Amino acid sequence: MAEGERSPRQLLVIGVVGGLVGIYLANYLNSMTNTAWFSFFAALGAVLAVFWGADAVRRVASYGLGTGVPSIGMLSLGAGQVAVLLGLAVAMNLKVHWAAPIIALILAAIIGIVNGVMARRVIKMNIAIMEMSMTEIAMAASLIILGFSTAIAGGFAFDLIMKYVVASGFIIAVFIVGGMAMLHPFNACLGPDERQKRTLNLALSTGFIAMLVAGIAAGAINGIQAAVPTMIIAIFGWIIYYLRFFADTKEDAAAVLSTGLLPKEEEVA
Amino acid sequence: MVWFSLLYWVWIILGGILIGAGVHFIPVGGAPAAMSQATGVGTGTTMLAAASGLTGLIGAGSAYASSGGNFAYTIVMGGVSAALMISVLAFIANVMYVYGAGVPLASAKVKYDPITKWRQDLYVSRGTEGHGTPMSSFISGIIGAFLAGVGGALVYFALAASYAGISGFNATFGGYPAPYYVSLAAAFAIGIFFLNCVMASYNIGGTIEGFHDPKFRRLPKSIVASLVVSAVGGLFALLIVVMLPGGI
Repeated sequence: MAEGERSPRQLLVIGVVGGLVGIYLANYLNSMTNTAWFSFFAALGAVLAVFWGADAVRRVASYGLGTGVPSIGMLSLGAGQVAVLLGLAVAMNLKVHWAAPIIALILAAIIGIVNGVMARRVIKMNIAIMEMSMTEIAMAASLIILGFSTAIAGGFAFDLIMKYVVASGFIIAVFIVGGMAMLHPFNACLGPDERQKRTLNLALSTGFIAMLVAGIAAGAINGIQAAVPTMIIAIFGWIIYYLRFFADTKEDAAAVLSTGLLPKEEEVA
Repeated sequence: MVWFSLLYWVWIILGGILIGAGVHFIPVGGAPAAMSQATGVGTGTTMLAAASGLTGLIGAGSAYASSGGNFAYTIVMGGVSAALMISVLAFIANVMYVYGAGVPLASAKVKYDPITKWRQDLYVSRGTEGHGTPMSSFISGIIGAFLAGVGGALVYFALAASYAGISGFNATFGGYPAPYYVSLAAAFAIGIFFLNCVMASYNIGGTIEGFHDPKFRRLPKSIVASLVVSAVGGLFALLIVVMLPGGI
């Protein structure tokens, strides 16, 4: 780990705590005030989960998966999606509505560990951190899906998510756009000069693009109250972090050394 | 207590194994193939699986809806739609390789094409791993996509049939014709499809030419992985039925 980088544990705390706090704030502030003005908190939580997930993708994919970076993102989103809906259903069954995001997170961790063990022990991929990374990415994926779903539906009750996110078809947009936000940063920045700060600034920028999509979807469900704050924050966040990413790119590009011009034909001979 | 049907769980596991096995037949070329330096369609498994798998799912879903849940019709339509998509993909890519990039279609893994018996090695440019999708890879791809499509349709059918029994899941969102259970089954079928196809693509290391490729012998490992992954994923998906005895 180079100097000035964030450690995996630090990012895990940012992702889990940030994601959960955002989802809870959105759900309870919305239900207390009986409006949808606070939906954007859940989307912000999902952006923090993207931030964490992108770093987990970065750590595992830097070993070289052989199949491209998108594969691990799509796999985890598939796992996270099943975990989220089951988590919400379990919370409804046990009548512990408040615990739904935590149950979803735990279920995502279980399915992530199973995937990691299969990839490393059965398929024998030679990646030492496979189990841990698969678990982390599946957990981040579940927070991304739950965060954006909560932002769209205005709360995380099973019936709300089922009606406004799954039945309306927005779940597929959340699935693909959330997955792209998490896997694109490393996919775009990978290489010998890859640097965590640049990749994670891009992760925040793509996370805010995903938030913009969630804001548009939220507008279709809860109208202006949900759409306007989410979309305004998303647009500003995107511009800020895209400019930071651009500045990082220029900074890093200046360090590339010139190899000189190609030799002339007569010199080669 | 409401319990889910064990048969549906078996179908999901079987579907997962078929998806994983199907990927081994599909000529995935990855990034090198995109520069016509390797045999196969020039993209990764994730994209190929998304293209043919989602087409298979659309076929299976529309067959399920129009036939009122007929098992055989749903399964066959899933397989045929996916096979159709992969053949269109491979054919259009071949047109581009031949007339755009100007390379002959050839496999570097075998000296003679197992189906046409045509010589291959003479047509492979030096320093490359073959070009385009030659006959045996093409046929292999159609077989693989059919298997994967059948697998995806099995998963979808099992989930849709399970969720249709939950009270309240027959409602529709606004003016949409599709009821809740169709949306949920489709979303989860995509999730389980990705789980299995990515596991299989890790098994082949990202690229394979088809059934004549030596990597094809790694298939048993992928079957074990698919079995476990889809057993857990399928169990999680079916537990929703158990968790909602009173519906929503």
